[in-house]
Amino acid sequence: MINQKKLDRVLKKVERPARYIGMEENSVTKDLEKVKVKFAFSFPDIYDVGMSHLGLHILYNLINEEENLLCERVFAPWTDMEAEMRHEDLPLFTLESKEEVKNFDFLGFTLQYEMSYTNILNILDLSKIPLLSKDRTDEYPFVIAGGPCAYNPEPIADFIDFFVIGEGEEVTLEILKLYKEHKEGQWDREEFLKSVAQIQGVYVPKFYDVIYNEDGTIKERISLIEGIPSTIDKRMIKDLDSMFSPEKMIVPFIETVHDRVSMEIFRGCTHGCRFCQAGMIYRPIREKSVDKIVELADKLVKNTGYENISLSSLSSCDYSELYILITKLMEKFEEKKVGVSLPSLRLDSFSIDILKEIEKVRKSGLTFAPEAGSQRLRDVINKGITEEDLINTVNYVFKEGWSTIKLYFMVGLPTETDEDVMGIKDLAYKVKDMFFDLPKDERKGNLKVTASASCFVPKPFTPFQWVGQESMDEFYRKIYLVKNSIKDNKVTFNYHDPKLSYLEAIIARGDRRISKLILRAWEKGCKFDGWSEYFKYDTWIETLKELNIDGDFYALRNRSLEENLPWDFINPGVSKDYLMREYKRSLEEQTTPDCRQQCRGCGIKGCTMTGGGDN
Amino acid sequence: MILRVTFNKKNYLRYIGHLDLMRVFHRSFNRADIPIKYSEGFNPHPKFSIAHPLSLGIESEEEYMDVDLEYIPAEEFVEKMNSVLPRDIQIIKAVYLEKEESIASLIAWAFYEINFDISEDRTKEEAEDIINTWLSKEEIMITKLKKKGKKKIERQENIKNLIGNLILKEINDNNIIIETLLKSGDNGNLKPINLMEALNRDTTLNIDMDSIAIKRLGLYAEKDKNIYKPL
Ligand code: SF4
Repeated sequence: MINQKKLDRVLKKVERPARYIGMEENSVTKDLEKVKVKFAFSFPDIYDVGMSHLGLHILYNLINEEENLLCERVFAPWTDMEAEMRHEDLPLFTLESKEEVKNFDFLGFTLQYEMSYTNILNILDLSKIPLLSKDRTDEYPFVIAGGPCAYNPEPIADFIDFFVIGEGEEVTLEILKLYKEHKEGQWDREEFLKSVAQIQGVYVPKFYDVIYNEDGTIKERISLIEGIPSTIDKRMIKDLDSMFSPEKMIVPFIETVHDRVSMEIFRGCTHGCRFCQAGMIYRPIREKSVDKIVELADKLVKNTGYENISLSSLSSCDYSELYILITKLMEKFEEKKVGVSLPSLRLDSFSIDILKEIEKVRKSGLTFAPEAGSQRLRDVINKGITEEDLINTVNYVFKEGWSTIKLYFMVGLPTETDEDVMGIKDLAYKVKDMFFDLPKDERKGNLKVTASASCFVPKPFTPFQWVGQESMDEFYRKIYLVKNSIKDNKVTFNYHDPKLSYLEAIIARGDRRISKLILRAWEKGCKFDGWSEYFKYDTWIETLKELNIDGDFYALRNRSLEENLPWDFINPGVSKDYLMREYKRSLEEQTTPDCRQQCRGCGIKGCTMTGGGDN
Repeated sequence: MILRVTFNKKNYLRYIGHLDLMRVFHRSFNRADIPIKYSEGFNPHPKFSIAHPLSLGIESEEEYMDVDLEYIPAEEFVEKMNSVLPRDIQIIKAVYLEKEESIASLIAWAFYEINFDISEDRTKEEAEDIINTWLSKEEIMITKLKKKGKKKIERQENIKNLIGNLILKEINDNNIIIETLLKSGDNGNLKPINLMEALNRDTTLNIDMDSIAIKRLGLYAEKDKNIYKPL
């Protein structure tokens, strides 16, 4: 355990000390001496963000239910805490036992977004664990990582001992149990890595090398030791009902981003939006049954005391028995004043009946994501939403008394023209007009339309993985085109920083050479890059120059379909051939129907979707 | 019915703030299935109030709360709540009120234990001497910052009458424990940290301000110069 006196001195000086104390309802403390394998789970951002991540609650409970295993949490300390810790020479510790992270067997990171990678280095440094995998000797924990960004593990390959690709529920226990066997036998770090590399979904970067062409593209990947897999197949849970689902959630003391029961109702997505990485890597769609969800919701509410349940998935309105589910949940919880919310509504499958059910308890704000301003561009990205969908829905919600509406868009999508971009304004204005076209006595509240635009970042394992990102100048030009054209105080236009998106694009499609960039940027003080007040764009650019890395090579370059991509050795289930077909269809402005209507033969195994198909 | 409740808040839980504590109770009422009453309106709140919230970082042996609920036996309330509350926040006592005088308006004094380090070893006599000389001064001034719109205005205040008593309980080399009764409520209020700042500024004790650990031992009401516990 760390020095408690020091900790007290520190806690007295920082903002929101409750971020660092643990002790929350449903957190688990075990006897560190007695458990065989100690796992420290880390979300590389502050507590407030990390505690809102559903995956944490799943893994935490999953591991802690095993008698011999233990999982504790560690987050990135906020900058005030970091300064005090460095001042007192207090090493980073887990919230439960206040034990040094360094004394655990594993330190596992979840990779939710690329701009948290410098925080990983900061966490390692504060834990006094060597930053580079090659410098870690027997006494240090294994630093491992999973989550969506692990599908391209290469940019942080130097720091991570091994990655876990895909869904973690089963594989985590396999790894920890294998570790326990090794620990009880003749302990050898290298031997363990060799045997863990045999588990499906595990990738040990140091067992491979990459050879580059003169132009900087990848020539080939080679295995450095015998008997290790040349492609890494993702892990996938077959049946969600029989899979482990937590019946408890840790209830934070302080207000976090999502302060409520979060329940997963299905995994995967059937729409096939071409920009969406989650929609590809989480295939196929798998639903939890209504009965199972209701049963779990009941337990979670009882065990947490929360007054809100949010149903989470990539697009909640697609749940096949949503109406039955919502009705059952409302029946159960209405009296107890427990609210139910669906955070990810899509316009197309939007059901008015469902909205009516939900609003019995609480009215939440409404957000819609048309993503692109014009129908042409929505076809390119395969966002199966029409303007009519939007109009019908918005008409209804205005009549029902909503007056605050958010619309999400992207700029810089492939093939985008100025006309498409101006569609953002047109759509926002149409929504506004619809409000004022209502007879006066039917309008309720004060209209506020917010259109936000993020800058498109092409991601691995999407049909747009070959596409070059728009240049920064173009992003700014387009953003200002829209911004300057909006002259109505009922309509607000927000946009994301193109500078951040540029770096995101470099890292997201980076190869092993990007590890050096991240390391150097961190050494120069970069951390919390996802927080606009800490993002140091100039430092990043300076670092690129210093290391002679061409950022545009990664972000802006169009790849040929023949090029070896850094992440090609990962098998996400969806075939590269399918992604290529989808890419070509996008350029022809051809839409691809939802899996529920027709299977497109994306290559995923074990898909039970019955749409039939032409492939 | 109004149930008056005393509870403690210890160890690391001294680092959760007042609003966080309200949330802990709200969710604990839910978990324990306490028939709490709710306010009317769009966003119903459970009806309970905590008297004289602690500042962040202060432990307490005895806090007060009034809860509006449908009748359940007080013992049942205590038992159910303690089974769902965190280990370091526990209900000590609960009694239904006969006449409803709000707890917030009753509290007049707070009794604290303050533990701190000083820079050099002192004997008990030396330390007591320093403290008593300080306490016997005509005026003990503190500077209070008041926000007026955007401007911050400094105001001097004599806190002499806000100190009920102050005794040195223990001294071990350079560690001191004092106990002090301070005015606390609508008719005058002194925060223990302000007392310590003044003590450090006016005397030669040389207090390590980062080492100060404060614990509230109790809250008191006052009637006709008599100080008594509100429960
Ligand atoms: S196999 Fe067919 S139905 Fe299943 S996810 Fe792929 S395209 Fe959709």
